[in-house]
Amino acid sequence: MNILTPRPNPIVAALYTLRDLDVDVAVLHGPSGCGFRAARLLEEDGMKVVTTSMSEEDLIFGASDKLIEVLKEVDDLFSPNLIGVVGSCVSMIIGENVKKAIIDSGLSDKAFFIEIHGCMGANTRGAIETLKAARDFGLIDEREFKRQEKMLLLATEVELNRGMAKLKYTRPSRGADLKTVAEYIINQLKENKKIAVILNAKKETAYLFADIPLAINLASKKYGGSVINIANLSTDIGLSRIRRYAKDIINDFESNGISIDYISGGVDEYPISGKKAIEYLENKEFDLLVAVGIPQALPTIKKDSIAVTNGPREVHPLEDAGYKYVTVEIASHSTVMGTREIVLSELGEVIRNIAGT
Amino acid sequence: MKQIAIYGKGGIGKSSISSNLSVNLASNGLEVLLVGCDPKSDSAINLFGGRRIDTVLDLYKKGVTDPDKLVFEGFNGVKAVEVGGPAAGVGCAGRGILVALKTLNKDYYLEKGFDVVIYDVPGDVVCGGFAGPAREGYADEIYIVTSGEYLSIYAANNIVKGLFNLNVKLGGIIGNMRGITNEVEKIELYAKEIDSSLIGAIERNHKIHESEIEGKTVLEKYPNDPLNLKFKDIGSKILQNKKAKVPTPTVDEKIRSILGGVY
Repeated sequence: MNILTPRPNPIVAALYTLRDLDVDVAVLHGPSGCGFRAARLLEEDGMKVVTTSMSEEDLIFGASDKLIEVLKEVDDLFSPNLIGVVGSCVSMIIGENVKKAIIDSGLSDKAFFIEIHGCMGANTRGAIETLKAARDFGLIDEREFKRQEKMLLLATEVELNRGMAKLKYTRPSRGADLKTVAEYIINQLKENKKIAVILNAKKETAYLFADIPLAINLASKKYGGSVINIANLSTDIGLSRIRRYAKDIINDFESNGISIDYISGGVDEYPISGKKAIEYLENKEFDLLVAVGIPQALPTIKKDSIAVTNGPREVHPLEDAGYKYVTVEIASHSTVMGTREIVLSELGEVIRNIAGT
Repeated sequence: MKQIAIYGKGGIGKSSISSNLSVNLASNGLEVLLVGCDPKSDSAINLFGGRRIDTVLDLYKKGVTDPDKLVFEGFNGVKAVEVGGPAAGVGCAGRGILVALKTLNKDYYLEKGFDVVIYDVPGDVVCGGFAGPAREGYADEIYIVTSGEYLSIYAANNIVKGLFNLNVKLGGIIGNMRGITNEVEKIELYAKEIDSSLIGAIERNHKIHESEIEGKTVLEKYPNDPLNLKFKDIGSKILQNKKAKVPTPTVDEKIRSILGGVY
């Protein structure tokens, strides 16, 4: 099936993965506009992103000399320990010899190349190619590479089977009205019902989605009812940066007097941690399920349920899966960069406003 | 104005035929522009005594995009342009052709009053850029240069596949003979197979070789040689050709069968 819906880009995924690897500078070997928005966000997260600004002339004559020059400039300007050079559609189609340029720049001890372009399929391919390059450069071991590769392939399956790549075309939607959803949750608590909240978030977006269980728990303290807290916040899984996200969020929960009943996995394990969360709930009594983050990775359950996603194009597939309400946290990527604590979510704010907490 | 593009297997003699055709058409009083599309920039070399002219892309790098500064006048008043391109193994020559063609376009040719524009295009149709001269607004029809040898006809058929896919008209085949047995017959049979025709053939002739060593066309070095009449004849057939049509490529087995049947 030819899927018409635009989907995330492998080049951008490669940039994000370099950030996960704590690379200091990403050099995008391509036109100045390629990865523009992601580059700005990643800068907020501490990784420098620069471009070789390939022009029409470079497209014809090649831009290896320009890349060498940019690498040397980057080394002078930022004194980085690690540089990732990311391909783009144009540089890869014209067959730029990036590895040779890195050697010629004299920076082969700190710079490595990710051979990726926009026509290589799902965004996860960009992440996998980056991890492969990082493994070959000695940044991660084979075991960690294999673990992450497995997760990324499963994430691709999730989108194909239950997400935005499920249908030929999926129109975007902002989903249900936040006030309606917040009131519904609060009314459940007022009726002394039990809410199971599953935080199944992807990497740094956990900083934002964690605000929703936080708001529900605080509302529960005021109105009654009870909450089962499940979260993919293992502090023992993944790269050090990824583990740090989990530690930060757990600290915030603890400082608000909230404990997690079940850790379903790491924050990069969202393709499998949702299933573990549902398995944990199998023999538990609860009245409402609230799944936040990547709810499309959860098996469908026949319960009253609410999903909070980060993608407007995930809304209709989730509605089709049977969720009573689906809402979108539209700013989930832009608000979490550079943070070390839970950031305000839209739904969390509405719950707090209504509850006065 | 008529625009044609010459395609064919690498090394088959496209540039020799293009430059000799150009000077002979010009000697009939026509305004001729030869556009060399090979990154090696050797299409027009025989119009300038072996001297290489500045290429469109080299000048483009220097910020020169005025078409008047990209066109040079060679032997017999033939105007010539070399597209040029990147050094071997880097960049994208195909993109270079597209950029150059955008600079040199039909409006400019009409403004300058050219009667004939000949694009000399390298090798097979290797990517979209090399197919540029065959696209709408550029060549009205294509001519393929081939010998009667198997690999040359195989390459010709590959070009025919490209023309078929692009819905581009083929004016005919120009034979550049290598002296093999029944060569004209072999090319004619292949041309018929693809629904085209052999419009003329240049016999193997040492005078072409000798002229090129001096960076000249045959007309310049041997002005009274009958070979020039052959080029003039092919030139006038091209100008009068009304039978150009989209060819139908054949299969490799058929090419082998045609060539094998006329040993």
